Amino acid sequence: MNKDNFYDVIVVGGGHAGTEAALASSRIGASTLLLTHNIETIGQMSCNPAIGGIGKGHLVKEIDALGGVMAIAADAAGIHIRTLNRRKGPAVRATRAQADRQLYRAAIRQAVENQPNLRIFQQGVDDLIMEGDRCCGVVTESGLQFRSHTVVLTVGTFLGGKIHIGDVQQSGGRAGDAPSIALADRLRDMPFRVARLKTGTPPRIDNRTIDYRELEEQPGDTPRPVFSYLGSTADHPQQTVCHITHTNEKTHEIIRSNLNRSAMYSGNIEGVGPRYCPSIEDKVVRFADRNSHQIFIEPEGLNTHEVYPNGISTSLPFEVQIDYVHSIKGFENAHITRAGYAIEYDFFDPRDLKPSLETRFVNNLYFAGQINGTTGYEEAAAQGLIAGMNAARQVQDQDPWTPRRDEAYIGVLIDDLITRGTLEPYRMFTSRAEYRLMLREDNADLRLTERGYQLGLVAEPRWVRFSKKCEQIDSTRDELSSWFVKADSDAAKAIASRFEVPVQKDQTALELLRRPELSCEGLHELFPKNITCSDPAVLEQVEIQVRYQGYIDRQLNEVEKQRRNTDTLIPPSLNYQEVSGLSSEVKQKLIEQRPATVGQAARIPGVTPAAVSLILVSLKKQEMTRAAHAG
Amino acid sequence: MASDTIAAVATPRGQGAIGVVKVSGPLAQQVAKSITGQDLQPRQAHYLDLHGQDGDTIDQGIAIYFNRPDSYTGEDVLELQAHGNGFVLDQLLDTVIAEGARLARPGEFTERAFLNNKMDLAQAEAVADLIESNSREAARAAVESLRGEFSRGVAVIRDQLIDARVYIEAALDFSEEEIDFLADSELADRLTALNKSIDSLLSRATEGRLMRDGITVVIVGAPNVGKSSLLNSLTGEDSAIVTDVPGTTRDLLREIIVIDGLPVHIVDTAGLRETHDKVEQEGIRRARQQIESADHILAVREAGQGIDKDLLQGLPIDIAVTWVFNKTDLHEPPIANPDSLVSEIYLSAKTGHGIDQLRSHLKQVAGFTSTPEGAFMARRRHIDALQAVRQLGLSANEHVTGTGAGELAAEDLRMAQDQLNLITGEFGSDDLLGEIFGRFCIGK
Ligand SMILES: Nc1nc2c(ncn2[C@@H]2O[C@H](COP(=O)(O)OP(=O)(O)OP(=O)(O)O)[C@@H](O)[C@H]2O)c(=O)[nH]1
Ligand SMILES: [Mg+2]
Repeated sequence: MNKDNFYDVIVVGGGHAGTEAALASSRIGASTLLLTHNIETIGQMSCNPAIGGIGKGHLVKEIDALGGVMAIAADAAGIHIRTLNRRKGPAVRATRAQADRQLYRAAIRQAVENQPNLRIFQQGVDDLIMEGDRCCGVVTESGLQFRSHTVVLTVGTFLGGKIHIGDVQQSGGRAGDAPSIALADRLRDMPFRVARLKTGTPPRIDNRTIDYRELEEQPGDTPRPVFSYLGSTADHPQQTVCHITHTNEKTHEIIRSNLNRSAMYSGNIEGVGPRYCPSIEDKVVRFADRNSHQIFIEPEGLNTHEVYPNGISTSLPFEVQIDYVHSIKGFENAHITRAGYAIEYDFFDPRDLKPSLETRFVNNLYFAGQINGTTGYEEAAAQGLIAGMNAARQVQDQDPWTPRRDEAYIGVLIDDLITRGTLEPYRMFTSRAEYRLMLREDNADLRLTERGYQLGLVAEPRWVRFSKKCEQIDSTRDELSSWFVKADSDAAKAIASRFEVPVQKDQTALELLRRPELSCEGLHELFPKNITCSDPAVLEQVEIQVRYQGYIDRQLNEVEKQRRNTDTLIPPSLNYQEVSGLSSEVKQKLIEQRPATVGQAARIPGVTPAAVSLILVSLKKQEMTRAAHAG
Repeated sequence: MASDTIAAVATPRGQGAIGVVKVSGPLAQQVAKSITGQDLQPRQAHYLDLHGQDGDTIDQGIAIYFNRPDSYTGEDVLELQAHGNGFVLDQLLDTVIAEGARLARPGEFTERAFLNNKMDLAQAEAVADLIESNSREAARAAVESLRGEFSRGVAVIRDQLIDARVYIEAALDFSEEEIDFLADSELADRLTALNKSIDSLLSRATEGRLMRDGITVVIVGAPNVGKSSLLNSLTGEDSAIVTDVPGTTRDLLREIIVIDGLPVHIVDTAGLRETHDKVEQEGIRRARQQIESADHILAVREAGQGIDKDLLQGLPIDIAVTWVFNKTDLHEPPIANPDSLVSEIYLSAKTGHGIDQLRSHLKQVAGFTSTPEGAFMARRRHIDALQAVRQLGLSANEHVTGTGAGELAAEDLRMAQDQLNLITGEFGSDDLLGEIFGRFCIGK
């Protein structure tokens, strides 16, 4: 601890948002303190033991492209790794790994402990130190004061947590952790809008009591996908398999006859749960016509016997959980190691945040992660990275940075949160991204690493490697476009026979590559002298760029059309009451949400194109008035 | 500076001998070249042939090109002056849009002029007023255009589009949920059905048809109130048989009047009443059928009677109605209530008193208002959007049946939804996710 207990940035919370925030802040040179109530839980995966998936894998790659730690930890901990949607097109392809909890935690802990400029201290936080409307430090549960320029709060599920198992309730954060009641009360006193959300977990099961003989096996992919742009399969631990089982009529019958005992159906829960992750009670009630639901049996790690049966989260009483678990194939004699439960918690309406993730009401205070109404490690980590970086940039007197919607899923995530807010735990899906074809896992580095380098987030080794990849992409494209394949040449014949497509006219190899039958890797294998680069990532990138050119141009065109709105800032001083022509309903919305740019204003539901025009006219009027006064 | 190019017919529809199509934005010069076939000297009037998309001459007229910043909007601007005939102007506008411009929003030319420093501070309020009033007018006209058959057609298309998207997006975002619809032939069938619906609606509702066929106004009411007399009075001819016997008119009788170049079809129908006469029953059935496909209804009563609740009940709710109170020579009309929300017109088919008022009312109904943002423009916007949806739907179908590239089909349909949203209002990604979660059991 430094002498006067003073830091540039204090990050409260050691979860996925907190660790990325602390790492980002210290990477760009701010002296940073990470405060957590328990050092042992740093980097803990408190829900299911998996990283990535569709939309989420995209976030992980972006975090990696910006120098974050999540992908590296996922590679170090991944014991079953797959690429989802492999055949549906590059934009929706996504990496997903079952992660060993211990290995994951160890990898994060190691990164945090070895990070220059970063200190860790174990103590829960009860209060914020305020100076006017500025936050400048925290008070811990034992009364210690830590002062700083900026504070990032990433206290997630621990805010006002309440656990339900059937009709039994207890206060608590994630099972086993004490909730941060004092801090929750303190924040509730501030002008932030607070609401409640809910999420559930399934009962955990002892591996040794499951009969796997009849269950469907799901192996990882070969070749094995890698998360980090710096990683390789050599980083992966020993691999394992997953299994799939199903609920049946008997399971459903048990659940139906005990519905009134579920916390969800007895009216004890006020929080809103996610529609995409219904409890088993919900599934049985809402989809009564289905007589079976899938359960993925996810291993928790290489050195534990506990497994996570994904798909049967519940808030039924424990004895009912035992009954329905035993009705499932393979689980006939299963021993439950922990009961499933539903947890309710507070979140703060993210519409009270700026794009930098600084709060609107308290200066120098940033929120990231589940506190903003999101769910998922990846969503939390992404916000942490942005909040930590911007908290540090504020100390350094630099403008905040947030990626745009056309640059990154991180941009989509933050923009959705601050302009639309959320009614359920917010989770990323690729369908949320209107520029989906541009926001791919394969090009997250091309989209973000250069920017990350300028921001100081990306260290030299990553930059060197990235620069080399860019050069190879360029030179491979050059090779392809300057290689003219004549229709009846030997090359054309070789191509025709390898890919089973006729080459009927003279064209460059680049033009040929537009055909879906061809692959760049295949061309390299046939003609290693013409296409010299052998790096599969480079060859794949060139192929995707060539094949999607038309669609990507169309999206770029869209981006360009929006650009003027996106770039036009709305000064906080703009008085919407005085913008002529706006309907009172639209005024109300704009006053409530105070969009930072015209683009954001346009995305607020109910704000019409005409309203956007009127705002632009009003801004122009202000500018002209100022110019008139100056001149 | 805006990056897209906008276009509009700048003169009121159907009025005047000369019509002007204006284009502003980076594509203006390219548009000028393709329509005139020449590189125009800036700021000079050129009298020449104006060509359509297929290269045929649409009209002879004057083209003037202004390069930025010396133009009204401060951007590159092209002005095409042709004959004031609606057909010609529409074809010109079509050509401009095919070159990559889009229909301007109401007040957008002035907005651009202001934003590009072409106006002074004092004009700011006027600009805001113009945008506001024209948008309000456009919104009203859009509602007007979205009635009856057209509205029903659009609703079907919207449902079909959302349906297809639900299946594709679910397959992309939830691939582990045992719902891989991409491989399913049902998806291609859904897309085919979608495209069929669009084709059929477009063929029934294209702007060409509106110009050629105009709008249809149906006269309905109880027997003997003077429906046939009204038809005769409007056409100025003795086309319909008029007697004092209730139930005179049996069959539908169609006449056309032309208001400012736009044809208005007027259909006289059999008086609606309970009857045992077989011929009359058939006439009444035809009358009811005709009402369904009307753009506008004239419900006739005798002055002195109130609004006929029973008659009103029997009319489709989504077709606008004007109440016509006839025989004011016999009955004193009540004092007009200016706040009435119902359109009411008092007249005498016999003396002709009040017929002019009905004519100008019909003119409004037909979309000829003082601003360019009438019902005609609204329908035109709707049709443009539907045409874009159609293109995208075809392309999506190709992806699904061809390479099976789900994400490209999804992209086409997302853009189609953006277009359709212009007609039906916002349906965003969160709404779509809601549909998916409502239909499929997602979630492990
Ligand atoms: N005084 C007066 N009589 C009218 C007026 N309009 C119609 N009439 C008379 O009302 C009677 C019915 O007129 P029609 O035009 O045949 O009425 P209709 O509604 O077409 O009747 P059906 O075809 O039988 O349903 C005729 O005797 C007309 O001369 C009017 O404005 N004033
Ligand atoms: Mg008649």
